[in-house]
Amino acid sequence: MHRILVGAAIALAVGVPGARARAQQGAPLGSASGRPPSSSAVADLSGDWEPDRSRGGFGQSLSVSDMGGRRRGAEDDIPYQPWARERTLAERPSTGPNPFFGDTTDPQVLYCEPPGVPHIYLWPIKTKFVQTPEAVYVLYELGPSYRIVWLNSRHPDDPDPQWWGHSIGWYENGDTLVVDTVGFNDKTWLDQMGHPHTDRLHLVERYRRVDPNTLELDLTIDDPGAYTRPWSSHRNFTRSRTGFLRYQQICSVRENQQFFESLGKPAIGAPAR
Amino acid sequence: MRSMLIGTLVAAACAAWLTAPAHAHHGAANLYDMSKPVVMKGTLTRFEWTNPHNQIYFDVADERGRVVHWVVATEPPQVMLERGWTRKSLPIGEQVTLYVFVAKNGAPVGNLQKIVLPDGTELLAGPASAPAVGAPATR
Repeated sequence: MHRILVGAAIALAVGVPGARARAQQGAPLGSASGRPPSSSAVADLSGDWEPDRSRGGFGQSLSVSDMGGRRRGAEDDIPYQPWARERTLAERPSTGPNPFFGDTTDPQVLYCEPPGVPHIYLWPIKTKFVQTPEAVYVLYELGPSYRIVWLNSRHPDDPDPQWWGHSIGWYENGDTLVVDTVGFNDKTWLDQMGHPHTDRLHLVERYRRVDPNTLELDLTIDDPGAYTRPWSSHRNFTRSRTGFLRYQQICSVRENQQFFESLGKPAIGAPAR
Repeated sequence: MRSMLIGTLVAAACAAWLTAPAHAHHGAANLYDMSKPVVMKGTLTRFEWTNPHNQIYFDVADERGRVVHWVVATEPPQVMLERGWTRKSLPIGEQVTLYVFVAKNGAPVGNLQKIVLPDGTELLAGPASAPAVGAPATR
């Protein structure tokens, strides 16, 4: 119980008061406010960012203690509710230590659905931030897709559940962008290992520009529908100079099926020759 | 014609760049033998520069002289561009040498690690061939 209370207190200190304070500023809902983005200096997030291979790479799991996904369902840093653990173990990831090729249940691979966030950071793709006074547009090579982080705004009182949720943000300390997101649907996985979430998910992302070539992301996952307390994860990014979106990384069910027919199906089952 | 399957094991010293599986999100690890690349000489017949992974088609003559149609994968175009490849990198119709992690069940499919063109040019498919940070950007 003590750990639960401490975890909840940490999560509240990290994100919720900030979100509430900004909500009370009364900026137009989810729209451009026309005001400066924050009283704090704007963190410079310019550049193309890719998972840092020297510090964990893109990994498979949000579990900090099990980034490779080898102890799926038994990680010591994921406070599962019983159903969430059972769901995780019932899923069939398309990657990781025990991948499924033709019969994965990964909705992104199976249906080309948006991976959502934070799942998208478990893909070997680059991310770009387009910063304006009203919003930060986060662009992803996969999809290609983007989400909008509204600055000086507030969440709807009763947001429609959507793939990327509803995000508001603000700057802190001149080097950090804090993104507070609610209003998710429950159709995405949190990571490649099938960790579920509900539409009660409240995600707080803290992007900190450590130096010109380093971006760090601290995550707080607070989902009382799936986990017994808020829990944390971390991602490391390095600046890429190989070019952003030189080829459109579009997910096509038709192309995936063709690939499976050509490369996967022959390799499954009894010896073919 | 002698078997074009000219070797199976590559020295462990060469294994450093043979580490990253292609189609990491399509479950290859269980299906392909990632421990030992097979070396083949084959004639390129088609190069599909496409998502979710590039596909290279080539023909190899077996010990009896029969032609076996192979197909191997690389990472998708977005990644291979960073590794110096383009959709025109492969000379269709030419005979090349391919280093492949092949299917465990013996099917003529696999995961390309390296290809050597007729002029001796080596095209690496793994991450070690990615340009170093700081290399000029190409857009």
